[in-house]
Amino acid sequence: MRKRALGAALVLVTSVAQAQSPETLGWLRKMHQATQRLSYVGTFVYQNADRTETSRITRYAAEDIEKLEVMNGVPREIVRTRDKIRCYLPDSRVVKVDRRVDRDFPGLLPEQIAALARHYDISLGETQRIAGLDCQTVVLQPKDDLRYGYRLYADVKSGMLMRADTVDAAGKNVETLMFTQFAPGNVTADMVRPRHEGKKWRIEDTGAVPAYLAGWGLASELPGFHKVTELKRRLGESRPVGQMVFSDGLAAVSVFIEPLESRPDRAATGLASMGAINIYTREVANHMITVVGEAPAVSVQRIADAVEFRRPTQ
Amino acid sequence: MKDRISVLMDGELDDRSAAQVIDALAAGNEAGSEARDSWRTYHLISDALAKSRVLSEGFSERVAAALAAEPTVLAPRRLGGAREPRRWVALAAGVAAVSLVGWLGFTPQQQPVQVAKAPTPVVPKEAKPALVALPSGTNDYLLAHQAFSPRMSLVGMAPYVRTVSEPAREARR
Repeated sequence: MRKRALGAALVLVTSVAQAQSPETLGWLRKMHQATQRLSYVGTFVYQNADRTETSRITRYAAEDIEKLEVMNGVPREIVRTRDKIRCYLPDSRVVKVDRRVDRDFPGLLPEQIAALARHYDISLGETQRIAGLDCQTVVLQPKDDLRYGYRLYADVKSGMLMRADTVDAAGKNVETLMFTQFAPGNVTADMVRPRHEGKKWRIEDTGAVPAYLAGWGLASELPGFHKVTELKRRLGESRPVGQMVFSDGLAAVSVFIEPLESRPDRAATGLASMGAINIYTREVANHMITVVGEAPAVSVQRIADAVEFRRPTQ
Repeated sequence: MKDRISVLMDGELDDRSAAQVIDALAAGNEAGSEARDSWRTYHLISDALAKSRVLSEGFSERVAAALAAEPTVLAPRRLGGAREPRRWVALAAGVAAVSLVGWLGFTPQQQPVQVAKAPTPVVPKEAKPALVALPSGTNDYLLAHQAFSPRMSLVGMAPYVRTVSEPAREARR
């Protein structure tokens, strides 16, 4: 009896050790570095329950510019440079410009990768061929149902992430991003220029700036999700909104706060979803609260329900 | 009670009150029948005002089932009681209301709260929150949100594909 308990304890210790093994975390670091370091042209497929969409992504590492073009339907593209994100929508002749406030935002730094083990069991899976490359699977299994799980497939040689599955509590894929073709190197600055000049197009600048949203907060934080930033910006043509972002280090949830009077319409209270993204809308203190996150519906709703306004004390 | 039924229809009643109202709607006594009458009348009014709504898949099957289960609810006398000028719209709306009442009759204990929260109560949902269409300007929210997703540093900008996807763009219009 005692022996068995000891055995069980040993198994437990080993599995915990495996979950946080330096090799496993090393793979996440390798992916992170490959994303920064490589120049490439790749075709990838985005898939959720409702649809499949093919896009091309081009990265020019020397200047840290990335371009994403959607290949289905009307051509649309997004160009991300060091300090701006521009989204070109040719059919409405609009360029949406977002300043990258996230430049100072640490993203996923190596030390944060280790911290992920608090909310996810991270382990290595089998190897698989994707887009002609041998890939190592890294599985992030959430420790509760407040976050999705992930199956990541990284090229064994370069560490480049070739496929990412977002998995719900039932083990079902809610969203897949997968390269079907990947060619590293040989990218020039020309290749990441936007296809559209956009000169006479309407420019919608979000004017995002870090800010303190006085009075707004959560009555209680969702376990593991901490506030990482707070800012003011404009949405659409010119609606002013506040934004708070909460994250567990991998998943992020944004809370948008906008005065009811500046909204063109009253949005319905409730939940909408799109692949791994859930959106919950409700009204609080004459403001429309829109919570957007790549987290299960229950998390997004719990954050939305916790949003409160307390008149700031003098 | 009538006020609360109206608030319930707007999807603005909290869970507990909604459960009470639905219990009242499902009740077999005279008060229940009166409550159901109000429920139907309000639906007639709201449907007439909002023109007819798009019916969901399997709607006619559910209506048929409801008709089989609750023949008295469709009694012509009651429908005739609806406001004259709206009669033809009212007919469809009345059937919609019957469908819900019929459904309530079948499964009163199972999911009362879900019905209460659904803005189009004809379609029962498994999930607890009301399911709504993507809000207008979904792309703007996604674009604003995406930059802060730590996942970005693992997968590059691929998740941005969501922000320019077709369905979300349609929701904008």
